[in-house]
Parts: sequence; C-alpha cells; structure tokens
Amino acid sequence: MPENVQHIVMWLIPLAPLAAAIVTALLGPGGMREKSHLPCWFGLAVAVVCAYVLLWSIVPAGFAEGGSAAVVAPGYQWLDIGGMNIKLDLRADAMTAIMLSMVTLVSLLVSVFAAGYMHGDPGYPRFFACFSFFVFSMCMLVLSSSFLELFIFWEGVGLCSYLLVGFWYQKPSAAAAAKKAFVVNRIGDFGFLTGIFLVWTTFHSMDFSAVLGHPEQIAQIAADQPGRITTICLLLLLGAMGKSAQFPLHVWLPDAMEGPTPVSALIHAATMVTAGVYMIARCTPLFVHSQTAQIVVSCVGGVTALIAALIALTQNDLKRVLAYSTVSQLGYMFMALGAAAAGGDAVTLGVTAGMFHLYTHAFFKALLFLAAGSVMHSMGDVIDMRRFSGLRRALPITHWTFLCGAVALAGVPLLSGFWSKDAIFASLYTAAHVPGLETYFWLVFLSAVVTAFLTAFYTFRAYFLTFWGEERFPEEAGHHPHDAPPVMALPLRILAIFALFIGGVAALSGWFGGYLNHAIGLAAVEEEGFSAGLVTVSVAVVVAGIGLAWIMYVVAPKLPARVATAFGPLYQASLNKFYFDEIFWGIIVAPLRALAWLSSWFDRSVIDSIVDGLALVPRLFSSVPLIFQNGRLPSYAMVMWIGLLVCLAFAMRLFAN
Amino acid sequence: MPEVIEHIRTGGLLIVPEIILLVGVCVLFFIGPMLVSDAGEARPGLRNGWGLFALVTLAVAGAAWWHAGLEPVERGLFQADALLWYIRGLSLIGGALLVLVLWTQIDDAHSAEAYACLLAIIAGTSLVAAANDLVSLFLALELVSIPTYVILYLGRRDRIGGEATLKYFLLSIFSSALVLYGMSWVYGVSGSTNFGAIRLALDGAPHAGEGMLEIAFALLVAGLCFRIAAVPFHFYAPDVFQGTTASNAAVLSLIPKMVGFVALMRVIPLSGAASGGTQWVPELDAKELLAAIAVVTMFVGNLMALRQKHLFRLMAYSSIAHAGYMLIGLAVGDVLPVGGRQAILFYLATYGLMTIGVFALLIAGGGADRALATDDDVRGLSRSQPLIALMLAICLFSLTGLPPTAGFLGKLNLFFAAWSDDTHIGHGLAMCLAINAAISAYYYLRLVALMFLEPATRPDSPRVPVAWAPWLAGVACAVATIALFVTPQWLWDSIH
Repeated sequence: MPENVQHIVMWLIPLAPLAAAIVTALLGPGGMREKSHLPCWFGLAVAVVCAYVLLWSIVPAGFAEGGSAAVVAPGYQWLDIGGMNIKLDLRADAMTAIMLSMVTLVSLLVSVFAAGYMHGDPGYPRFFACFSFFVFSMCMLVLSSSFLELFIFWEGVGLCSYLLVGFWYQKPSAAAAAKKAFVVNRIGDFGFLTGIFLVWTTFHSMDFSAVLGHPEQIAQIAADQPGRITTICLLLLLGAMGKSAQFPLHVWLPDAMEGPTPVSALIHAATMVTAGVYMIARCTPLFVHSQTAQIVVSCVGGVTALIAALIALTQNDLKRVLAYSTVSQLGYMFMALGAAAAGGDAVTLGVTAGMFHLYTHAFFKALLFLAAGSVMHSMGDVIDMRRFSGLRRALPITHWTFLCGAVALAGVPLLSGFWSKDAIFASLYTAAHVPGLETYFWLVFLSAVVTAFLTAFYTFRAYFLTFWGEERFPEEAGHHPHDAPPVMALPLRILAIFALFIGGVAALSGWFGGYLNHAIGLAAVEEEGFSAGLVTVSVAVVVAGIGLAWIMYVVAPKLPARVATAFGPLYQASLNKFYFDEIFWGIIVAPLRALAWLSSWFDRSVIDSIVDGLALVPRLFSSVPLIFQNGRLPSYAMVMWIGLLVCLAFAMRLFAN
Repeated sequence: MPEVIEHIRTGGLLIVPEIILLVGVCVLFFIGPMLVSDAGEARPGLRNGWGLFALVTLAVAGAAWWHAGLEPVERGLFQADALLWYIRGLSLIGGALLVLVLWTQIDDAHSAEAYACLLAIIAGTSLVAAANDLVSLFLALELVSIPTYVILYLGRRDRIGGEATLKYFLLSIFSSALVLYGMSWVYGVSGSTNFGAIRLALDGAPHAGEGMLEIAFALLVAGLCFRIAAVPFHFYAPDVFQGTTASNAAVLSLIPKMVGFVALMRVIPLSGAASGGTQWVPELDAKELLAAIAVVTMFVGNLMALRQKHLFRLMAYSSIAHAGYMLIGLAVGDVLPVGGRQAILFYLATYGLMTIGVFALLIAGGGADRALATDDDVRGLSRSQPLIALMLAICLFSLTGLPPTAGFLGKLNLFFAAWSDDTHIGHGLAMCLAINAAISAYYYLRLVALMFLEPATRPDSPRVPVAWAPWLAGVACAVATIALFVTPQWLWDSIH
C-alpha cells in the first residue's frame, strides 16, 4: 500500500468519529433529532474498517524489518522553538493496532445498542455527539506519538467521561458522580503530568520514538541516575491508577455508573479505563529498568483486585457488581504488567498477558454491561437485584447473552477469560520463582487465585439473583416486560460470540502474542506451554466459585442471609465498600473542607485585609507618590527624577556591595 | 557634498515605505483643512473618506515593505536588517487596526489631522527600527512623540482631555531630554553617532570611558522606560489613558511600548556586543538593573490593576504590567535556546493584537458616541452583545496568558527565555512572571465573569447600533489571537 494511502487510512480512524461528532453537534438539535445516531454509526463504521486495514495490512508490513517498526503518519507541526518540537503525529505499532481493533469494534457495537437504549431521551443528539467525540479522543490517545499528545487526549477522554457520566445532570447523584470522577482523576493526572515533565527533563524529548526507542540510552540513564527512572515510572503509575481506577483511586468508577449504561459499557469498562494499562504497557522500556516500580505495579494490582472482588460480593446493584468487577479485572492487568519484573522473556510474557486480558475483558465486560442495560431497560430503570428475579423466561436473549459474558468473566475453561487469566497466572507464577521477588509475587499470586474464586462467585451470584428464582418484576416495569428490541439484541449476540471465543482463537493460534511481540520494548519469545498444575488450580477455583453461588442462591436461598448474619461486621464492611468513601471523607475530604473553610475564613479576614493592605502598600509606598499620583504634574516629574537617580546609582555600582 | 547626497539617496531607498506614509501625511495635512469650513464644519461622513485614504496609504506602504529586501549597511543613517523588516510589518498591520479603531472616535472636521498624525506615528515607529545612528533614532522617536501630543488633543478637547494631553506632553519632553542627554554621553565616549562606528570604537578600546558609558546607559534606560511605561516612569499612564479616548488609549498602549523596546534593543547592546550583536547578553550591572525594573513593574502594574473600576485605567496598569513581562527578555538577553529579544518581539505582536482588540471591542460595544468604560458598562454584556462579549473574553484570556490564545505562547516564550538563562536572576524572573500571570488572572477574569455571569445593569436599554470599523478590528484581533495559537511557527520564524 502506498505510504500516503496508509497515512490517510490512519488519520481516518480518529477523524471519522470527529466528523460525526461535529455533524451531530451542529445538526442534531435542529434537524436530525431521532436520527442523530446515523452520523455516529457511519463514522464508527469507517473507523472500524480503517482500524482493521491497519491491523491486517499496514502494521504487519513493517514487521519484516524487525524491531519495533512503527508507522508514523505526519500531522501538524505546531511549535518548534528552542529544542522544543511539538508535533501532532499519529504513530501506530502492533500495540496500537490491537487496541484500535478492539476500541473501534466495541464502540460500534455499543453505539448500535445505544440507539435502542437511548431512544426517546431528550438529550439523544447530545449523547451521540459526546459518544463520537469520545471515540475520537480514545483513538487519538491510542495513536499518540508523544507523551504530550497522549496527555492531551488522556484529558480529552476524561472530559467526555465527565460529560457522559453527568449526562442526566438534572439528577444530583449524576452531577456529583461526574464531579467525583473528575476530581479523583486530577490526583492521578498530577502524577502523570509531573512524570511527563520529568521525562522531558531527562530525555529532552517527549516523543515515544525518541524516549522509548533507544534501550541503550535508557539503560545509560538508569545506570547514571538509578532513582530517576523509578521516580518517572512511579509518577506515570499514579496517572494510570487514576484513569484505571486502581486502589486507592478506585472510588470514582462505581459512582460513574450514574451515566447511561452504554457509557458504562464502553467508557467505564471496555476502553477508557484501560488507558492506564495501555500507558504502562507502552512504557515497558522504562519500567524494565525499575524493578521497584514493577513490584509496586503488581502489588497495586493485587490489592485492588482482591478488595474490589470482596466488595463486589455483597453489592445489590447489578451495575455496581459489574463496576467493582471491572476494577478487580483491571487489577489483574496491573498484576501481569508488574510481573515483567522477572526480566528476560518474562517482560514480554507479562505485558502480553496484561494486554491479552485487556483485550478479552473489553468484549465480555461490554457484553455484561449491555446485558445489564437491557435488564434495566425492561425493568423500568430498576437495577436493584432485590427487586426482581427469575427473569430468564421473560428476557431470553438478555439471559443467554448475560450468561455468555458471565462464564467468560468467571474464567470457565476454554472460554475467553480462562485463557487470559491463565496467562496472567503463568507470568505471576514465573515471577514468584525469581530470587528476591518471591515474597511479593507469591502474595500477588495468592491474591490472584483468591480473586479468581471470588470473581466466579460474585458473577454467578449476580446471574442467579437476576435470572433464577421465582419470577418477580418491580412495578416500574409494567405488566409485561419486553426483551431487548432487535437493535439492542444484535450487538448483544455479536458481543456474546466474541466474548466466548476471541480468547481461545487468539491464544490457541498464537496470534495475539506473536503480533504484540512487535511492539516497542517487547521481543519475540517462546510461548510457554500450559502448566497442568496452574490449569488445575484455575479450574478448581472457578468450579468452586460457581458451585458455591449455585448452592447459596438457587439450592438454598435462605443461606445468604444466615451467612450475612454470621459474618455481620465483615458483611457490612463489604456492603459499605470497606468504608472507602467514608475513610476518604474522613482523611481527605473533611480535612480539605476544614481547610477550605479555614482558607475561606483566612481569605475573608486575612487575605482581604492583605489585599486591602496591598492596596495600602501601593498607597503606602505611594504615600510617597500619593502626594504625586493625584494628577499633579510636578510630582510625576519628581518621581521620574528619583527613578533616574536610582538607575544611575545602579549603573555606578552603588548597590553592588 | 556629493557624498552626502549619495548617503541620503541610499538611505532614502531603505525607507521607502515610511516615505510613502509621510507623503500620505502631507496630503492629509494639506488637503484636509480645505474641506472644512471656517466655522469648523465639515461634510458628514468625511471621516470615512479619510479613513479609507489612510488604509490605502498603509496598503501601498505594505506593498513596498513586502517587496523591499534586506540590505546590511554599515554606515549611513538607516539600516535594513531583519529587525526592521519585522517591526515595519508589525507597525503597518497595527497601524491598519488602529485606523479602524479611530474610525468612529474622531469628528469629521478633525479626521484629516487625526489620520495624518496616526500615519506619522506609524512611520516613526518603523523608522525607530530603521535607525542606524543616534541622530536618526532620536528624530524617529520624536516623529512618534510629537504627533501623539496632537492626536491626544484632537481626540478629546474638554478640560480632562486637555489635562491628560498636557501631562503626557510635558513628561514626554522630560524623557526625551533624558534620552538626548544619554546619547550625548555615548557620543562623548565614542566620538561618533553612527551605530557601526560606536560599536567599532568601543570594541577597539574596551576600557575607554569607563564609568561614562554606564551613566549614558542609565540615562537611556530611564528615558526609554518612560515610553514603555515601566515603574517608576509610569505615573502618567493611568491618568492619560483615563483622560483620553479609547482609540488614543489603544495607540498609547501599543506604539510607545514598541518604540521603546526597539530603541532599547538597538542602544543597550552597543557597548556589550563584542561579536557584532548577534548573540548579545547584558553585563551583570545592566542585567540587575533591568531585572529590578522588570520585577517592580510587573508587581506594581498587577497589584494596582486589581483595584481599578475604570476599564481604561485598568488597561493602563495592564499595559504597565506587560512592560514588566517584556523587560524580562531584555534582562536575560540572547540566551539559548530561546532568546530574550526574540521572545519580546513575539510578545509585541501578540500584545498588540490583544490590547488593540480590547479597546476596539470596548468601542464597538459602546455604540457610536462612547466606548464601554466601566464595570457597569460591561456587566451582562453577553446578554446584549454576545459576539462582542465572546471576542472580548478571548482577548482577556490572551492577556491573562491562557491557552488556546497567542498570549499563552507569548508568556511561554518569555518564561523559557528567563529559564534558559541559568542563573538565580533568570529563575527568579521566570517565577515572578508566573506569579504575576496568576495575579493578573484575577482582574481579567473578573471582567469575563462580569460579562457572562452577572445580569445587565440596564437590562432594557435600547440596543445600540454596532460601529462596524472598530467591530471589524476587534473581531480580527480576537480571531488572530486564536489563529496565532494554532499556527505560531511562521511568526517565530519571521523573527529570525
């Protein structure tokens, strides 16, 4: 393919959704109204086609040359002053192509679903304008060629998330959730931005190719200033923790479920929240030089995965169960990325495992959210699992597709989640055998296994509570709840197929690992065979989890209440999300409020007097010139004369010692 | 004698655009009075004709500027280097905007004289950059000053206007005297008035006139600091801005600043430029003095601006604060990789756009007879004049230095320049710049909040017809402010 055609194809991936966003924003409120989804569908379809051309043709063309061949589509040279060269280019390598193939496809399917789900909403055009703009920002984020560009679109997706979480801004809870997401993300962004500054001062560049493309240069810097690389990595990690909702910055994600469900599916499960994982994977060449940072990555992931899974056990809101499950699964990805600490081939295996889980997770979690949205749709926006049950006969399509997602998420053997989770187990297991790292990685590995059990349990708890038991509908649902209409059913079916089989196909053919190897910082490695022991453990915990859920919620429905009473405090702690919101309230928000109150008081009484005083300072200081500054000419001339004398004194070095 | 004539001929060829402007000035002065009756009455609409004439003159001069090449000249009254090319372009474009701003601010009977003065000021501005001799430099400075007195008087002929004019007149003469005195010390040390000859004389004898040069330097800095309105030579600015018309305030906020900085860039390096002026860095004393003036000017300008309720007075203090920002560039000199003088030149262009934009929009929003001048006038402006309020907000954002406006890049360049000067002074200046940008945000954004968040003082006052010429200038400035942010590279490249 000629080079300029390649570049056009690459630019079309972000620009088609952008064009759709602009068209919808301009024409939507006036002329299009209920047809506002059409530009979005069209733009996303173009993006999908281009993303697959990129995946199958453009990027592999560079593989023959070896190394980390990346295709760069030049864009706009913004500023080139004094060694600071800021460009807006697109850069695509294997990791970009894989991410894009997932982002665009899931976006398209979710947008089709959303056309049915959002039907009749007064903000219909606004929804699709923001949605398209989100896809644009996300594609640009993935296609960024420099840290600065990455940061700009990192904020761009954050803005879209804010707009869409607060989509029903009339609801106070939605407005508050949007604000919370925004504020918590600022903490992470502070770290990210500081990290980028540090990258710039260290490497004198922000381009990925210049910073990440020269391993020997990084090694040199790591040898000269051992602390520097670790600091950079930890700061970048802070940014990733904000965006990818890692402990303790995970608190915003469950609240973000106030947004419309398609938004939860796309932004808060499949794509945006994985940006942190993507960024750390992208920066692998930096992270390999800091074992400390990698251990921290893994531990953050391990703690997050376990805590989020424990909270998910007791939530009554179906979407919240899925939200905590997302946090927990993102924790898995972090664990895998950190497992690269083992060095050598483990770098590639760990990063590949993390990215693979990101890839499969996107499909089954989007599916689960959309199915939950379908439940909400037919239950009259009720999502509390205590208020309905036994929906499997009333909503057959939703039931089957949810089940597909659930088995994939739980890691039932031979389905998507199984393969990616197994890869993560394998890389953690390898890392746990490296001398010096045993302690950390055994703990992380243990947490991964426990989390796998919990995942299977809470997923099927939600499934049994919703779809089994006696048939009950809330009064909001009306008498005859209807199943998903075709426009919603189609994306559900397609996603179900992907959710079940994508992992198996990609893992068994060796395609995923073989393709991702070509990304910057990774190398071709021998795929490890399956370890029978690990597989046994993994299968055992899944079966145990699902079995326990079956017993507790289908066979003996009285049991959960008794368990809850027996483990009263623990149950309450989990139900109340381990009081993280309250703890944050106590240790951060309340002191900040107090500080704010104090500042406000300080501002009103002290600063205002200072400002008044400052007006006095010039007034005092101009009590010399105040004699002058009332419009009297001789005084002005007098002050100029004094100024001249001061200048002369300076020039004659009267002030120099 | 023939040699002198030869000098004048070659010199004249270097300043063709200015000569065109001065021809226009002559036409306006000679023909203008003929169209006004003895009683001082003129045909209504005469000012439109003269305004158009001024624009055409500027366009012709602009064409001459575009086709003139660069000619390095060692001797002679004038030189045509890259600085002249840039400043000439800037003053012609700024001049065109100022003509549009002046359009409705002058009565028909005095329009010819007012446009003549404005064109003379524009010619003087670019002649300052063209000067290659102390004599021509001083003449060019006066070619800016003297018409300024006249235009100040023509704009507003009541008692307050007269007082403002008189204040400016007397203090300006005082500062000119300082400059002239400083120049005579330079002549005394070097024995020549030609820049090339002075440079040669001072390089040849590095210790000649030890002490005397410093006095000359202090006198020149003090005199020129009046032009740029740096503390403590700034006192006239608030009074004069408040006492004159919006168009004159626009002229005063940009033109003297441009003139002053260009003159400082020409004369200060004379003694320190051993390598011919390409890489000039001020000596330590000079650096300390300039840095001190810069810091005091920034703080005084911004702190005083905090309390102002009259917008012209506020803009006067804003103009003082901006003089402080730009002095940073002069204090650090041509450091690498971002040079201070380049940063000043870039900043002058962005500052011109935003300050002319603000005044133009204040005039456009006020209607035919008066400009918006107080807090109450702009309160709730977004309701009555949404477009003007939006454009004004863009200019104010740019003055604050927020992206996505050119003002952000201007401050960024100055910041980098200060930071590139890797000393305590440089770092201190960079921090002062950041602190002052934050302080200034308060009073600029307060205006934005007034326009957009508060109800109008007089909600049902009749809608005034928009004065199209200032409106056009204001919109052009605001749009250019955004456009310059998007494509800044060509401007940066054209400075070199």
